[in-house]
Amino acid sequence: MSAVRTFTVHLTIPDNEAFTALETLARLGVPVDRVIRADVWQFELDGDAGDLAATIGSFETIFNPNKHRLQERSQERPEAGEVWIAVRDETPATRVAGRPIPGVRAIRRRTSWRLLDASGDDVPPDVRTRAVETFLCNPAFQVAIS
Amino acid sequence: MSARVAVLVFPGTNSEDETVRALRAVGLDAALVHWSEPDALARFDAYVLPGGFAYEDRIRAGAVAAHDALMQPVIAAAQAGTFVLGICNGAQMLAEAGLVPGTGPVGRPTAAFAPNASGRFQAVHVHVRLAVPPERLPILAGLARGAVIPAWAAHGDGRLVAPPEELARIERDGHLAFVYADAAGEPVPAPNGAALDAAALCNPAGTVLAIMPHPERDAWTFQHLGADRADTHGDQARTLAPSGGIAFFAAFARALGVAVPA
Repeated sequence: MSAVRTFTVHLTIPDNEAFTALETLARLGVPVDRVIRADVWQFELDGDAGDLAATIGSFETIFNPNKHRLQERSQERPEAGEVWIAVRDETPATRVAGRPIPGVRAIRRRTSWRLLDASGDDVPPDVRTRAVETFLCNPAFQVAIS
Repeated sequence: MSARVAVLVFPGTNSEDETVRALRAVGLDAALVHWSEPDALARFDAYVLPGGFAYEDRIRAGAVAAHDALMQPVIAAAQAGTFVLGICNGAQMLAEAGLVPGTGPVGRPTAAFAPNASGRFQAVHVHVRLAVPPERLPILAGLARGAVIPAWAAHGDGRLVAPPEELARIERDGHLAFVYADAAGEPVPAPNGAALDAAALCNPAGTVLAIMPHPERDAWTFQHLGADRADTHGDQARTLAPSGGIAFFAAFARALGVAVPA
């Protein structure tokens, strides 16, 4: 088992933030037809975390079954076509909503963005780069991971 | 005729009324302009971006509003030298738009007001001290060197962050307009963990100012936190008297040609 486990949390209801991003990218002239956003949670383990997915599922701050879909990733990096926005020089959290997670020593949160064209395919890399540089990432304190 | 000042309202702005009230109190002709009215901005002499949570602060605080259609005339005017003041959420917009510190291309931010070091929204009474020579800030006229202004800090994203070389530039080139201080003007740590204990940044010309705490929320004595407020209990005239924050708006009005007594 990896020392880091990565989960994504997608909204199953309309994602207003993704819609706003789409609208803003359009205003900036970045040709994107659909935006998919997700929260990425990475848990660095230091012991027996038990059934971590079930534990996370009980943290409503992370996951609400009425509006979220929780998925564990096999990789600690973004998938092809995906970009993660993270805080530069981030100090990992040790708690979520004031509560520690058993067996977890560090928690990192990123935002996943996936930008699609009208066919549902990932936009070309140069379009994704424009979206990141003009809007999705403030390089003063964030980094884009792809 | 007094200078006309537009107070911009985005979805989620929540400090527009008290900002207009403070501007009018110092003799400015202030009016609200909503996000659906960008064409209305042309008839104003200066712009104020008030506090709140524009577009729910989606993506990042101020990021969506910075690219809103309503901001485009403001950005163009700022580049032409028009005074633009951003308070709290407005300050975040100016940073996201790249207008402050203004050391890079417009639209490419070089600094940010990022989430507080505490990770929480903080509401605390503060004082800010003018950290540059008064002549460095044409947007505020008549402030004394080292002037101290009371205000309320009320934000979740007020921590100045930037790469080390940019922070050095901000300090060296006089972009650090106000720092957190005590009532006597002595330095105190920024409550939000801001680099340089920064409370406000300005652009190279000193015509665009982004301040995180709200001076308009300490513009009258009943809003103030201090012994002078307690002394006014039951005295309506004194309770409604101008407080220290109004000095900030008086300086803005003087910069716009209004004869406001010092």
